[in-house]
Amino acid sequence: MSPSKPPRGGTRDGWAALLLLAIPVAAAVFLLRGDASGSGRGGDASATLSLVETLGGADTVGYARATEPRPFVFPADHGPHPDFRSEWWYFTGNLEGDDGARYGFQFTIFRGALGPPERASAGVAAVDGSEVASTADSSNDWDTRQVYLGHFAVTEARTGVFREFERYTRGSAGLAGAEVEPFRVWLDDWELVEMEGDPGAGDAVWPIRLTARDTAIGLELELVPRKPPVLQGDRGLSQKGSEPGNASYYYSYTRLGAEGTVIVEGEPRPVRGEAWLDREWSTSALSDGQVGWDWFALQLSDGRDVMVYQLRRADGSPDPLSKGVVVATDGSARTLPLDEFEVVPTGSWDSAIDGSTYPSGWTVRIPAEGIDLTVTPILDDQELDVSFRYWEGAVDVDGTSGGGDVTGRGYVELTGYAGADIGPRSGEG
Amino acid sequence: MNLVRAASRRWALRHPGQVVLSVLGVALGVAVVVAIDLAIQSSRAAFEVSTETVAGRATHRIEGGPSGLPDSVFTRVRTELGLRASAPVVEAWAASERWEGTALRLLGVDPFSERPFRPYLAGGGPGLDVDVLLNDPAAVVLPEALALDGGLEVGDSLALVVEGRSRVAVVAGTLTAADELARRGLADVIVADVATVQRFLDRPGRLTRIDLVLSEEPAAEAAVLAELDRIVPAGARVLTVGTRSDSLSGMLRAFDLNLTALSLLALVFGMFLIYNAMTFSVVQRRELLGSLRALGVTRGEVTRMIGMEALATGVVGTTLGLGFGVVLGRGLVRLVTQTINDLYFSVTVESLTLPPEVLAKGTLLGVGATLLAAWPAVREAVQAPPRMAQTRSLGEDRVRRLVPRAAVSGGGLVAGGVVLLTIPSRSLLLSFAGLFAVLLGAALLTPLATVVFVRAVLPLLGATVGILGTLAARGVTAALSRTAPAVAALVVAVSVTVGLGVMIQSFRGTVVEWLDHTLQADIYVSPPSPISSRAEGALDPGVVERLSAVPGIAGRSTYRGTELLTDDGLLRVVALDLDPRGEASFRFLDVEAADAFGAFRGAGAVLVSEPYAYRNGVEAGDRIELLTDRGPTPLEVAGVFKDYGSERGVVMMARTTWSQLYDDDRITSLGFFLADGVDTDEVEAAMRSAAGADQAVVVRSNRALREASLEVFDRTFAITAVLRALAFGVAFIGVLSALMALQLERGRELGVLRANGLTPRQVWTLVTTQTGVLGLVAGLLAVPTGLALAVIMIEVVNRRSFGWTLDMQVGGGLLLQAVGLAMAGALLAGLYPAWRMSRTSPALALREE
Repeated sequence: MSPSKPPRGGTRDGWAALLLLAIPVAAAVFLLRGDASGSGRGGDASATLSLVETLGGADTVGYARATEPRPFVFPADHGPHPDFRSEWWYFTGNLEGDDGARYGFQFTIFRGALGPPERASAGVAAVDGSEVASTADSSNDWDTRQVYLGHFAVTEARTGVFREFERYTRGSAGLAGAEVEPFRVWLDDWELVEMEGDPGAGDAVWPIRLTARDTAIGLELELVPRKPPVLQGDRGLSQKGSEPGNASYYYSYTRLGAEGTVIVEGEPRPVRGEAWLDREWSTSALSDGQVGWDWFALQLSDGRDVMVYQLRRADGSPDPLSKGVVVATDGSARTLPLDEFEVVPTGSWDSAIDGSTYPSGWTVRIPAEGIDLTVTPILDDQELDVSFRYWEGAVDVDGTSGGGDVTGRGYVELTGYAGADIGPRSGEG
Repeated sequence: MNLVRAASRRWALRHPGQVVLSVLGVALGVAVVVAIDLAIQSSRAAFEVSTETVAGRATHRIEGGPSGLPDSVFTRVRTELGLRASAPVVEAWAASERWEGTALRLLGVDPFSERPFRPYLAGGGPGLDVDVLLNDPAAVVLPEALALDGGLEVGDSLALVVEGRSRVAVVAGTLTAADELARRGLADVIVADVATVQRFLDRPGRLTRIDLVLSEEPAAEAAVLAELDRIVPAGARVLTVGTRSDSLSGMLRAFDLNLTALSLLALVFGMFLIYNAMTFSVVQRRELLGSLRALGVTRGEVTRMIGMEALATGVVGTTLGLGFGVVLGRGLVRLVTQTINDLYFSVTVESLTLPPEVLAKGTLLGVGATLLAAWPAVREAVQAPPRMAQTRSLGEDRVRRLVPRAAVSGGGLVAGGVVLLTIPSRSLLLSFAGLFAVLLGAALLTPLATVVFVRAVLPLLGATVGILGTLAARGVTAALSRTAPAVAALVVAVSVTVGLGVMIQSFRGTVVEWLDHTLQADIYVSPPSPISSRAEGALDPGVVERLSAVPGIAGRSTYRGTELLTDDGLLRVVALDLDPRGEASFRFLDVEAADAFGAFRGAGAVLVSEPYAYRNGVEAGDRIELLTDRGPTPLEVAGVFKDYGSERGVVMMARTTWSQLYDDDRITSLGFFLADGVDTDEVEAAMRSAAGADQAVVVRSNRALREASLEVFDRTFAITAVLRALAFGVAFIGVLSALMALQLERGRELGVLRANGLTPRQVWTLVTTQTGVLGLVAGLLAVPTGLALAVIMIEVVNRRSFGWTLDMQVGGGLLLQAVGLAMAGALLAGLYPAWRMSRTSPALALREE
């Protein structure tokens, strides 16, 4: 296994950083691929990214690193952190129509730097070697080292249709970018934007309107936090490897109210439901021996939210850096080390693309919290066939929490199961 | 059948010279047609491949006015309309010392937007390094072949002149073409990021165009076009991708057609040759054919026999001709390309394209023309009665009876041609049909003219040369079936030479005169341009300022020329800030200069060139509409001026008018008027040093610019001159073979004369007098015919092709040359037969065959 995909969990952020590292390469691969854009089922496996290639030359020189806890300031931290190599705004959610139709959605905007931030911009040299244009003259609206990547996927439970879309755009000329005042993160006509009106819970950027559309599917949602942001790891510093700086800054909104419209084949359908936002930025690279991860974000009917991720090592064992968090109704959170939770697959699914086998269906247990849950995908095939392959899908939850019966909904992300023949670092032993 | 075939073969073996000449005639005719066709097709193909490669899979494009499009239009296309299949493009011309003489196309793209458009950027391998392309502000990517040719490797720096500006690029990578087509299309393309090219051009925030792929489904396409309408600024247009390349290749239509018509002339000459050779071969075999018929060979079999001979000649000749044509085409393609680059747009023709249809067309023309030309011979053969003997005089009698008939049809053709030419239409095909009708008509009139002429000179010849002169002249009319086609071929060849010569002379004279009054300024400055005949690009404002400050300048005109895409194709629009001293540059056709300039200096008026007026049927006082940055704008035509700089026409407006209509303040070139007594060379030198290193400028004196312009003119007509020579060569061979055959055929007659005491020296006199008479007839007939052709080419073909009026200028030298040429050809043709006859013993000659 090898394809990479950004993990959002505390440990997943190693991968995540790598992913963004991978963007330049991905962009190149993207350009080199012959097939059409949009929902690209059936792209050839050889064209998908190999993290080994991607990360071979990972260079962190010139970038900021996440070495110690920092104060998070909102709304500023909702905006971009261009000194870090990579960053994302990662939304997932479960929605329901007036008619009871069930939808899942994923909407992610990744930012990646092609090179470390520059202090001086280069001019255009004349033949005689003198600088013709002054620094001011040579700056150009198109100049940028920032690349934005968007993933948008919608699962329709009733029809069993899963659609995914991928876009790359340069972070300049107004084509893609991230701004704080007013809050706006966009990539072409995909957009997260601060809405006029009452400030919601937390800080001033909310509510945020999410707009995404592509062939045959569109989504417009108004998002309002139901809980304050949760700082992951150690006060928002999420350590992913033993080396200092091999970490990310990471916060989440584990429960957002979502209301709006899903547009299917041009037909608007009113929907409401709940969503989850992960925000993370980092520079450093993947740890040795990690091949992928299984990540769970579950919203329970008793008001609690559970996030656990299990980082898989080449020998099949979970990495000790795997973590979790339980967020109470009031927003208070407790971090879970690996030994406090257990994730056991109960079934499997073979990829429609090449037969790669993914786990499908799990039991998730957190004994100390009295949590014992059965997690079931609402659709087997929620695999994204984009520059790097991964499975990101809506799930149903059923079980017990704190002694009572609960139901719930959530999202699961599985990486490192399909794609190129070897996983990151595994080939290097 | 075997008997017939054997007879054919025997004859061919015994007359190899005749066979060779027929084959050569077909071969040369076919070769010229094929060569021209190949040259045209190759330049076309190169143009199309490079256009398509650069346009990629785009279906539409948004094009701005002279100043291009603001970046924000693209941003809105993406963020408001969500049109993902859209790509910004900045295109510029560049040159580099590494590829001397190659105009490079610098293509500024957004690599992230390219995938739906230019698959060659997806050439496989690590060709397009997005990382480097975006990180280095001067990074460019070259096709592998270009890099190899320029001795460049990744990481090397590359000095470029981008629309006159000196820039240093860094080679960030090479592009591997996915296929041969992409390789050819990319031959002269350098790819860089949008930002890089904007920086090179010093035009931040401006795009050349936006490429789009719109749905093929009409309703969806219309919906998107309606949305685009909302965000496209006034002065910009959404066009289908074919529009621009169509108008570019449309510019070549007249040029191509003119060349093709010329090449067809060569084939016509070839047909004369075949006709002549075939007819001759039949006449020579009348006795044999009669014997065959007597032996029971049917008319059908005779038809087949001669037909097969013609077919064999046609096939062999055509095959050779195709081969020659390809070789010749290689030479011609350079001339054609040079002209296209001089006059129209820059195109690099890497290789000769060999489209099968060109070869098929050549084959069809060659074989078809041979069979057609052989038809009279077949008829003659069939008419050979099944008798042992048949006197030739019978045949000649019949031919003589045909003379008036030919003359009548010739007169009819000429009249028909004139009628065709006077039809008020702009159709070039019609013009050429008329031209050919007149030419063929003239050819058909030659037998009568020959008879009349010979009758007229008979006493004169008798008086000067004596009995031999009379004998020689009588021989011409006595063997009219031989002499008439030869004279006709010579007339056609020489008259075409005369016609083309007069036309070129008139054209050149007109252009010289035009240049003399148009180039009023003392010194001209422009950036180097890939198209020699017009200035492109822009002068740096700082350079303009520094140049204008050079001491000794009394006045200055500025010029900004740009190509505007209109519904009728590309139009040259010029903004002129005219120094009053420069007003003398203009010669108006229909108004007083003072009135024209009065209106011109006001608002809302333009001056248009004669070709523009001709094409669009406008005159002073009419209104025309231009798409400007303010939307469609009506403008008054203040005057029509003579101009030979652009066949498509020019619309000129005052700089003040321009500034109101277009958001563009660039200057393409400058004309400086010097104060009295100032030394031009000194000012030129001062200007060169004032321009500085950051912009390459071409500083030219009035005289140098005039010379450069004439050089372009002469290059343009180089191909015409080559064709003229080729056509003449074909005709010359025809005449040579015809006259030679004629004289050889007279072997018996001469034998009788020799037996009766004619000395070898007298044989010489007889033969050369006769061919000399033929040459003189042809030369004299060719002069009026040639002048008529010149009139047609100047007044009809040129006008319809380019909208120009030329002053006809006839040099006496040219006419004398024509007559001399005809006579020389004819005399030359008599040399061998005379030599042979004079050496043959009379007895041998008498034995004949």
